[in-house]
Amino acid sequence: MNESPVSTGESTATVSSGSAAGAVPRARAGVARWRWAVAGLLLLAAVYAPFQLVPFHVFQLTMVLVYALALLGLNLLVGHAGQISLGHGAFFAVGAYATAIPLARWDVPHLVTLPIAAGVAFLLGLALGLPAMRLRGLYLALVTLAIAIFLVPLLKRFEEVTGGSMGLTLPKPAPPAWTGLAEDQWLYFLALAVALVAFGLAAGLLRSRVGRALHAIRDNEAAAEVMGVRLSYYKTLAFAWSALFAGAAGCVYTWVIGFVSPDSFVVTLSITLLAGIVVGGLGSQAGPLFGALFVMFVPSISQDVNKAAPGVIFGLLIIAVMYVAPTGLAGLAGRAADSLKKTLRKG
Amino acid sequence: MNELVVSELHAGYGGAQVLHGVSFTVGEGEIGAILGPNGAGKTTLLRALSGMVKGRGSVRLDGVELLGSSPDTLARRGVAHVPEGRGTFMPLTVEENLRLGAYVRRSGVDADLDRIYGYFPALKPRLKQAAGSLSGGEQQMLALGRALMLRPRLLLLDEPSLGLAPLVTRELFRIVRAINEQERTTVVVVEQNAHLALGIAQQAHVLETGRIVLSGTAARIRADEQVAQSYLGYRV
Ligand SMILES: Nc1ncnc2c1ncn2[C@@H]1O[C@H](COP(=O)(O)OP(=O)(O)O)[C@@H](O)[C@H]1O
Ligand SMILES: [Mg+2]
Repeated sequence: MNESPVSTGESTATVSSGSAAGAVPRARAGVARWRWAVAGLLLLAAVYAPFQLVPFHVFQLTMVLVYALALLGLNLLVGHAGQISLGHGAFFAVGAYATAIPLARWDVPHLVTLPIAAGVAFLLGLALGLPAMRLRGLYLALVTLAIAIFLVPLLKRFEEVTGGSMGLTLPKPAPPAWTGLAEDQWLYFLALAVALVAFGLAAGLLRSRVGRALHAIRDNEAAAEVMGVRLSYYKTLAFAWSALFAGAAGCVYTWVIGFVSPDSFVVTLSITLLAGIVVGGLGSQAGPLFGALFVMFVPSISQDVNKAAPGVIFGLLIIAVMYVAPTGLAGLAGRAADSLKKTLRKG
Repeated sequence: MNELVVSELHAGYGGAQVLHGVSFTVGEGEIGAILGPNGAGKTTLLRALSGMVKGRGSVRLDGVELLGSSPDTLARRGVAHVPEGRGTFMPLTVEENLRLGAYVRRSGVDADLDRIYGYFPALKPRLKQAAGSLSGGEQQMLALGRALMLRPRLLLLDEPSLGLAPLVTRELFRIVRAINEQERTTVVVVEQNAHLALGIAQQAHVLETGRIVLSGTAARIRADEQVAQSYLGYRV
């Protein structure tokens, strides 16, 4: 009916106003309300759960929070800034030792070790990120992998400080009497508090100017640079922030386990974490949580399926998830929620 | 003031030289058109002006040397480049894209957003939409708007008409002209669509295999039938 449909389509698009305008903010508000409702329910469940579960399951949930914390950092680097790291576990280990050593040597209060661990990891991230972030893709992956590989022998070597292969055994934080909580519940709530603060911090960071710069770098490095975004500065910063969250995770891990040894932080940890965030959902807010559930439960499930080769089952499960949900479990959950909403609206 | 003087500019990629001593001038607040066939080096020229590729020679804006500075430094000095392919951040919203354009400044960003909606009213209702969901014409408007957020002294446009319908292209060039007149921004526009570019430019330069083979006022180049046939490939 029209001799040039393309041109009319384009020109109406440029002068259009009205119709779509009203719908967009309303839809956004709906999404926001939906999100807050889900977050509120989750938080309620998170507070309620430790009173309903046996200590071992409370411990497992605590570890989910620890992994979520670590994955939050990795998501910042890989999901939001678009840089690869195969050495995230190294910063987790640094946080663990930066917690364990002051606890073992000077018997400092547990809470003091959190800023120490986060701070040491951040500074180390800054120092290593400065040269590493000038590299791209495969080279960056190799350098970060090297960091993870060299860490274990390094920890074993400085035996007087790190306890060598024997590791260090530490006191766990004791629940204050007024709380009436058991040890496992207290540890859980400590982890929950740290995780909540960290998720809030990361969300704020990503909404700011810094977040916009990271997304720009991820989506189109060259275009970001001609807009004035200093690439090396922001990549280094993203690396350091991701290290900070890994350090905090290592700290809470040490509180919870009460023991560190180099063999808890072998290269597999870094690779498992990377797999975790990819499976969980890169660049998604819920990605770290889904990834943490995967990292925590899937290896033990694979152990049950096949005792001889749990690694193989784990690998196959990763492939299966990526096949069904290329945007990760968070993306899958989002799509499920969308179709649920559609069905509810229709019915 | 914001006169652009390019002289003896050599640039390329690794060992491959693409520009072999390019010289031209765009007057303060004027529009200079760079015309030429595919592969002539037009994109490379703009990349050299914005620091994306290294160059030898001299590029002065308001008498200050631009060559040798990094792209982010040049952005801070007021060089805005709308690259080939527009450089839109597809997953980000329209508003986030615009705010990224003002990345080098912290103040006056909201006022500048309003200024952009003045030029591109179509963008306003789409602020919260992902940039990837815009039509080609709207994306080019967004790219131009994003460049304006920098409050540029020098605006570099790489084939803004590419892939757009004729009507949209004409509208776009009208806006470029309006921007140039109202903000006194010096503009370098690279185009294969010579007709439209010559319509808004004062001076035009024809680039062929890395050399300027012809320079003159836009009116003269447009009038010269032989030029039109041999260099621009169309009949007037
Ligand atoms: N990134 C690049 N790396 C190497 N060579 C390139 C690159 N971009 C363009 N070239 C080469 O430079 C020459 C000029 O290209 P370009 O500046 O894109 O021309 P135009 O924009 O006029 O079509 C071409 O021969 C092209 O193959
Ligand atoms: Mg080109």
